[in-house]
Amino acid sequence: MPNLIARLIARIPLPFRVLYRQFLLRVVDLEALSIQADVPRFLGQFAGVLIMISCLRALGALFFPPPPGMAWELEVSALSNMLLVVGLISVVTWDATFPDRRDVLALGHLPVRPRTILLAKVSASAGLLALAMATLNWASGFVWAVVFGQGSILRSLRFFAAFWFTIVAASLFLYGAVLALQGIAALLLPRKMFLRFSAIAQLAAFALFMAVYFLEPSLSSRAQLLDPANHALLASSPVYWFLALLNQLNGTLPAEFMWLAQRAWIGLAMVLLGAGTALVLCYVRTMKKTVEEPDLVPGAGGLHWAPRLGGSLRTAILYFSLRSLVRSRQHRVVLAFYWSVVLAIALSCFRSEIAEPTPGAIPSGYLISTFLIMTIAVFGLRNVCALPISLNANWVLRITQLRQPEKYFAGTRSLFLLLGVLPALLVTVVLGWRLNPWQQVAAHLVLLFLLGCFFVEIALLKFQKVPFTCSYLPGKANVQIVFWGAVFVISLLSITVALYEQKVLHDPGHDAGMLAALAAGAGTLWLINQHRAQYAELYFEEVAPEIILTLGLSTGMRYEPIGPGPKSAGTT
Amino acid sequence: MLELHRVSKHYASIPAVDDVSFCARRGEVTGYLGPNGSGKSTTMKMITGLIERTAGHINFNGKPIQDDLIAYKRRLGYVPEEPNLYNHLSALEYLTMVAQLRDLPARESSRRIDGLLRLFALHGDRHASISGYSKGMRQKVLLIAALLHNPDLILLDEPFSGLDVASALVLRSLIQELAARGKVVLFSSHELDTVERVCSRVVILHRGKIVADDSIERLRSLMELPTLEAIFSQLAVEQDSASMAREIADLIDA
Repeated sequence: MPNLIARLIARIPLPFRVLYRQFLLRVVDLEALSIQADVPRFLGQFAGVLIMISCLRALGALFFPPPPGMAWELEVSALSNMLLVVGLISVVTWDATFPDRRDVLALGHLPVRPRTILLAKVSASAGLLALAMATLNWASGFVWAVVFGQGSILRSLRFFAAFWFTIVAASLFLYGAVLALQGIAALLLPRKMFLRFSAIAQLAAFALFMAVYFLEPSLSSRAQLLDPANHALLASSPVYWFLALLNQLNGTLPAEFMWLAQRAWIGLAMVLLGAGTALVLCYVRTMKKTVEEPDLVPGAGGLHWAPRLGGSLRTAILYFSLRSLVRSRQHRVVLAFYWSVVLAIALSCFRSEIAEPTPGAIPSGYLISTFLIMTIAVFGLRNVCALPISLNANWVLRITQLRQPEKYFAGTRSLFLLLGVLPALLVTVVLGWRLNPWQQVAAHLVLLFLLGCFFVEIALLKFQKVPFTCSYLPGKANVQIVFWGAVFVISLLSITVALYEQKVLHDPGHDAGMLAALAAGAGTLWLINQHRAQYAELYFEEVAPEIILTLGLSTGMRYEPIGPGPKSAGTT
Repeated sequence: MLELHRVSKHYASIPAVDDVSFCARRGEVTGYLGPNGSGKSTTMKMITGLIERTAGHINFNGKPIQDDLIAYKRRLGYVPEEPNLYNHLSALEYLTMVAQLRDLPARESSRRIDGLLRLFALHGDRHASISGYSKGMRQKVLLIAALLHNPDLILLDEPFSGLDVASALVLRSLIQELAARGKVVLFSSHELDTVERVCSRVVILHRGKIVADDSIERLRSLMELPTLEAIFSQLAVEQDSASMAREIADLIDA
């Protein structure tokens, strides 16, 4: 068998194989993910999370078999999850399928046909999509086929085939739609304008996918789907088109929903045709455009006003950080992730209790939501600031380090207050605009500001660096455990604090006490940070813990890691 | 005066710079030469304080630089070998940031940046992103950043890299002018012709050790060789370049 596979692979042209491997390793946008990202590791972690979700869903269906009426609800959930994952993949692999300047310059002078490059790139993207589809649905797809087959093998097989066809079709639809949009923009717009549009469209797509996932109502009963009030939602939501397609293929679609399945077929055909045409035209036309593009675009117009924001060092750190956030795709995407969560919380809060507030009471949903928003805004910003932008260029900060580290930390503190606490407070003000009594809203704002300051000091406890300048050890970002653990703890804390605050808001004495305690906490942490800063050093490299392997072959024998000393970032 | 006394740098017990001692004096341009991998840039980085030395002392104006590193950095201008800049900034933003990090007065630094950008012919592109700059333009940004604060000690590691002929001629004269105004200039380059014209004396490094430290005139007369290139070839080039070129061509032909 291995020989057969090896022989089959050998039949594929060598240039294609080489390019496919290269593009697969680059399919994840390194700019969006990390400066020196470990793509195979990332893919492994990504697949791990999806497999876990699939297993949980399968176990749920196995141990708690859903009643027949719940099938649509599960299918809607599976399709929503799949479309979210594909949407996130399309954001992370944003430009990967299109020719870029690097490809043109590196491959243009080699005897490689553009169609080989195109096929290798499409195959690499398809590989990642296939990985996502398979890992997210392998267990649940199998178990659901058994459960929904209700003992009939033929019915199970039909559901299995319909399910996988629909999953592939829905994924291709969304990924193809993003490709078609990008391709049309690349063909119509001048390259410089396209690059700007592409950056904005990437963020917009990210926000759209997250917002739709969190905010789209889940309609699963026949009555809900037939309600005329939901007609517009059904007509515009691909999730329901593909739900209808799945049931059409499975033979369980009522006649009144046939128009939805029709939409899925038409949408899929249009998107595939559009994406294919756009890709081919891009390789024919924009590859040349990329080469002919001038190396240097003369000074861009626009506003170059840059007032001082405090002392010279603080101004330098703030502007450097703001520009890094605005201009680096990687940092923009990561920040957009945190802010899309903030947006989702804010919108769901706005839609629920705040839209029709109860007079004379501050809803607990408002308090919980705003605590969550403040937490995510501050710690999300801290996480973004920990990602470096250009390690090679950091020498200039070392050469010009003419002031004590505490001055640099003060600059970072200002950044966290300006871009973390302030926007969260603004969102809170907007959400609480219609709430009464206003005195309680104002008291909550003061409390939230103090909480923001407290969080900023916590964020600074181990952040002895200039934002965006320190190397990053990817192993520390253990997404499966740290992220979900943090979400759980933060949610629990927010609910506890919000419920307590709701009680004390009616009692000015207790409220003042709570504010004083928080102010004292923030002040104490500020003093601790100031004290530590006097002895701290600015650092530009994350130092991995040293590992000493003791084999115990003989008494006193010790093996030490080979390589440079403890200051080296690469020592593991 | 910049003095290096028995300075060494070892990477995992492999010596990159081995027991190096020399002086660079005020009013002189000292050339620091050596083949690739001989330890020139490592020495430069030790002088800037970017990397720690394994042994030895570095003094500036008689004081060890570690005694007051911040005061020393205030007087230091450095052009690194690689033009590593923050590509997401424009030249004006980058230079303004350097001026702010050096705590230069805003109005004065703005005037200097503007003037230097004009003189280095970068003013028209000052708002364009550095990512679009050519190598020569990046080199000019590095030069401006190094000179912005009027330093007393100037370290130039391959400063001519990527510069066009006109800019290189200006820079050559500028280096001499700066030395004539009392600056200490340490200048590393592979362009021996330029070194011969610009430098008063040269230090030649080979495999981390100094093999020559004298004025070019004295080296010429001592070694009875006509040019710096001939001196350098004799001291630091191990292989016969013509026979090596023949070997390469033979390998391609085979």
